[in-house]
Formats: sequence, structure tokens, C-alpha cells
Amino acid sequence: MAERSPQVLLAEGLARQGRTAPAVTACQQALRIDDRDPLVHCLLSGLMLSEGFCEQALASAARAIEIDPGCAPAYLVLGLAYDRIGGVWNRSVLVWQELAEVVPDLAVAHVQLGEALCAAAFPDEAVAAWKRALEIDPRDSRAMYDLAVAALKQEGMATALPGFRKAGELDPSQDEFFFALTGFDTDVTPAAGVGEVGPDAGERLAAAHAFAANEELFKAAELIRMVLGEHPDNVAALSLAAHLYLKQEAVNEATACALRALTLSTQTPSAVYALGVAFARRPALSDHAAKLFAALTVMAPGHAMPFVLLAETRLALQRYSAAGEAYRAALALDPGCVRALFGEAAVALAEGDFTRATWAVRRAAYHDVERSGHFWRLYDAAVEGGAQ
Amino acid sequence: MADDASLRLYRALVRQDPAAAISVIERVRAGGTAQAALFDTLFAPAMAILGGSWADGSINEYTFTQAAVVADQIMSFVTPPAAARDTGVAVLVGSVHGDSHDIGKNIIAAALRDAGHRVLDLGVDVLPARFLERVEETGARIVIVCAEMLSTAHAVQRVHEMFLSAERADVVLLVSGAPFAADTRLVRAVGATDVVHGAESALRLVGRAALGHLEEGEG
Repeated sequence: MAERSPQVLLAEGLARQGRTAPAVTACQQALRIDDRDPLVHCLLSGLMLSEGFCEQALASAARAIEIDPGCAPAYLVLGLAYDRIGGVWNRSVLVWQELAEVVPDLAVAHVQLGEALCAAAFPDEAVAAWKRALEIDPRDSRAMYDLAVAALKQEGMATALPGFRKAGELDPSQDEFFFALTGFDTDVTPAAGVGEVGPDAGERLAAAHAFAANEELFKAAELIRMVLGEHPDNVAALSLAAHLYLKQEAVNEATACALRALTLSTQTPSAVYALGVAFARRPALSDHAAKLFAALTVMAPGHAMPFVLLAETRLALQRYSAAGEAYRAALALDPGCVRALFGEAAVALAEGDFTRATWAVRRAAYHDVERSGHFWRLYDAAVEGGAQ
Repeated sequence: MADDASLRLYRALVRQDPAAAISVIERVRAGGTAQAALFDTLFAPAMAILGGSWADGSINEYTFTQAAVVADQIMSFVTPPAAARDTGVAVLVGSVHGDSHDIGKNIIAAALRDAGHRVLDLGVDVLPARFLERVEETGARIVIVCAEMLSTAHAVQRVHEMFLSAERADVVLLVSGAPFAADTRLVRAVGATDVVHGAESALRLVGRAALGHLEEGEG
């Protein structure tokens, strides 16, 4: 790796802290020393885009690519800038195709390519791009949302809704919401094994939640079994058991555990959530699910997720305007909620408002890229000298 | 009574005996419990007992899972049908001649179909005479014509004239698309009864039209 000037390192540090203005100044100083460093142009481009200066972002990204045609983060910023400007979808398509060639296993390039193709009125090619993204990363929720919206356009809500739900389940924010409801701290590093957890029920429950949050479902289940063996009426254990069953698509087992928990205590938000999710997976029980999620909006104020879940059950019930209200409530709490933005797009499509739908998808794309940190991953890889 | 029945249903689930479970459900239904109430009064309590038995170790994991399989098998007996019942209302949907936009039309058609209406989707670029032909063939009394461009929106008038010339003024002509949403005077100008603003609006207007309650300009 080539030696990097202190000005470049300063610019990067400031940019990572979100201190845009001093970072721009540092970039400009770095360019006075070496105006052929593609990464500095790229960094400047990203900073300009973050402040909404699309033309400047385009110019800097183009300069970075001119110097280094393999500069992946510059393609990302260039594509995002074209998308932000809108109306130049042919250019967007070209840029995302370039990025997909430079970094072939980058799912987001194919997702963005699909959205640009869709905006350019190539729906079939768009679907192919989203499917390619899912081949690369089967857990890419945005590609799944895009496919659900495409299904809605072609075949209506009943076909699209399972796609929205599937995308929602890929989105880690739903699990995070469940663990927030439980009140257990899941940021802790879980024990290496079940044997290392203390015999106290509280310790076991805490460890079970930590294992579950880390997708170590069997270890979590083993601990829950131990807790229930001594305390069969432990509501927290029953709620987590319901969640674990849901993760394994065992809807009836989850229903049984959640109902048992709610028989013991009706004021258990995590059990209300689990039962609502279990009911929502059965179209005939959408009305039941809607009631539970409506209750959850009251039990867990300040969270966007119950409103999103409520909105999705209302979509299933063909109550589109009511679904729109719930999505808007979710977005008021979390303006960057990608799932709610795609839902808002679905409602807009159902209401015949295609402009609003397109706008919602573009906002979702912006927030998704922001949250997922693709720029910095590509940038750091480029600094290290690799393609990704 | 319900508690007792729930206990019997729980036992049938644990014995992995779907026939016995269905028998319990049918007896409760015969006792006057409405279909809509079966899930809440019978099935949910039985599942809560099942969850409790698993939690306290009365049944093992295998039995729990097998009982859940039986619960799945009998689910349709205790829940309302997932698909809406056939309303018997036939609706023709299509994009007017010269217009190839189909997203709005597809969503409206699917929503009506999901609600149990008999939807005949004529596709895009449909000639006015085709709407009339299909009305005559199917006996449909409700037609939704979609147009997303101003030039094609005006062409809906030809569909209206086609119905009048065939003495089919009884057909309820609804329109959908951005030009009509932007200028509702256009709805009257082309001879339509009302404008559909998306799927929910379509459900409401078709529901009212089916009952013969739709007057001009209600949408």
C-alpha cells in the first residue's frame, strides 16, 4: 500500500466522523499536494453527495474514475448521484453495470442496476438484476423488496405480500425490535457454550437471548428448555421460545408458546409480537394479527416496527389507506425505515400514485445505502489495494 | 363448555388424531358457535394448553411438534376461508385503445379478484368494440377502462358511445388513470359514471355499483 499523506488521513478521519465541511477542506488540501489520487477525488465526491451537491459529486467521481478506471467507490457515488438527479437513467444503468463488472460479487450494484433499469422502463431486465443480487447475497432484503414491488405491479398485492414479508424477515431490524421488547441486553458477547452459563434462571435467560440474537438458535433453545424445566410459567422464556420457533418456520409451535405466555400475562409485548407474527403468516388470520400489532403500537411507543407490521397486515386485508396511515406513522418515527418506505411505495401503487411510489423507492435506496455502509467498505478495500 | 371442548381438542392434538380433533370442532359448531368465533373460543385456548404442557414437560418435544402438525391439518376448520367468497359480480377491466400502461390496471384487477369478484382482464390497447363484445358475452355490468395519457383518456368516450349505440346504458362505466384523477371533469366528458383512484377505491365503487347504489360522481 502506497504511503498516504497526513492530509488524506485527516480528510478520511473527518469524513468518517460526519464532519463534512472540514473534511472537504482537508480533501482540497490533499489534492493540492497530489491531484492524481483517485481516492481523494472519490472521498470528496462522497462528501459532496452527502450534502446534496450532485453536480460537484459527479465531477469528482468522474475524475476519480478517469485516473483509476477500477475505483469502485467512485462508481458507487457516481451512480448514486445520477440516481439522485433522476431522469438520466441510461447513465445510471451504465454506471451500475460498470460497478457490477468492477466488483462482480457486490449485490448492491445489481440492486441499484435493477432500480435504474426499472426507472428506464426495462422491467424484465430489472427483475433479472434483482434475482442476480439475490444469487450473490440471498439475504439482500432490498432486492427482495424490489421483486415484491415488481410482483405487485404485475400480479397484485396478494402475490406481492409474501415477498414483502420475506424481505422484512431478512431485514435484521425486525429481530432487533423483538429483542428490544424483551428488555435483555443482546449486545453482549454470548458465552462460548451452554455449559459456561451459570445455573441461575436469570443468567440462563440472558444468555439465551444473547445466543438467539447471534442466531445460535439451538444453544438458545437448550437454555430455554432448562429455564422452563424449573419455571414452566416463565413468560420471558415462553416468548423467546415462540421467537425461536418462528425463526424455524414452526408457526404452530410459536403460536402455542406465545398463547401460553399471554395466558399467564397479557401485558407481555414480546409475546404479543410473536403471536402477531405467527398470525400474520396465515392470510386467514390477518385480522387477528392486525389487532395484536395495533395493541403493540401502544405497548411499545416510539418504535416504528409495530406500525410497519400493522401496515402489512392491513395490506393483506386490502385496507390500503389505513396501511398508508400506519406506514406514515412508522416513517414519522424513523424516516429512514427502508421497509416502511417500500411499503409506502406499495400503497402508492395501489392508490395509482406512481410518482409517489417511485419517490419512496428512491428514498429507500438512499437510506439503505447510507445505513449499510457500502461506500466505506468499498473505499477501505480500495485503500488496501483490492477491488472490494 | 368451551374450556372443556378446548381440553378435548388439546387431547386430540396430542394423540395426533385429526379425526377426533375435527369431531370436537364440529360438535362445538353444532352447539351454535359461529365459524368466526371457533378460532378464538376453541382453537386458541387448546393451543395455549398445548404450549403449557410443552413448557412444564408434560409432553416432549416430539409430541409437541406432531401436535403442531395436526393443528395445521385442522386449521381450515377453525379459521375463516383465506380467499374471499365469490361475489358473483363480473367486472371487465382493460386499458383503452392506444394505451399500453398496465400497472394500475393490474393492481385494480388483482384487488377485485382477491375480493371475490369475477374479473375479466382484457389487457392493454383494447378496442372499444372489444369492451362491448365481452360485456355481451359475459353479462358483466361493470366496466373499468384505464387510460394513463390525456390523448387516450379522451378515447374512453368511444367506449361509452359504443355501449349507448348497443342500447347498453345499464353498463356502469368506471375510468381510472392519471388524467381522470387530475381533472374530474374529464370523467363526465367521456361519459363515465365515476373515477377509480386505485385498488381500494375500485373495491368501494364496484361494491356500490353491484348493489345498484352508484350515482355519477361518487368516487
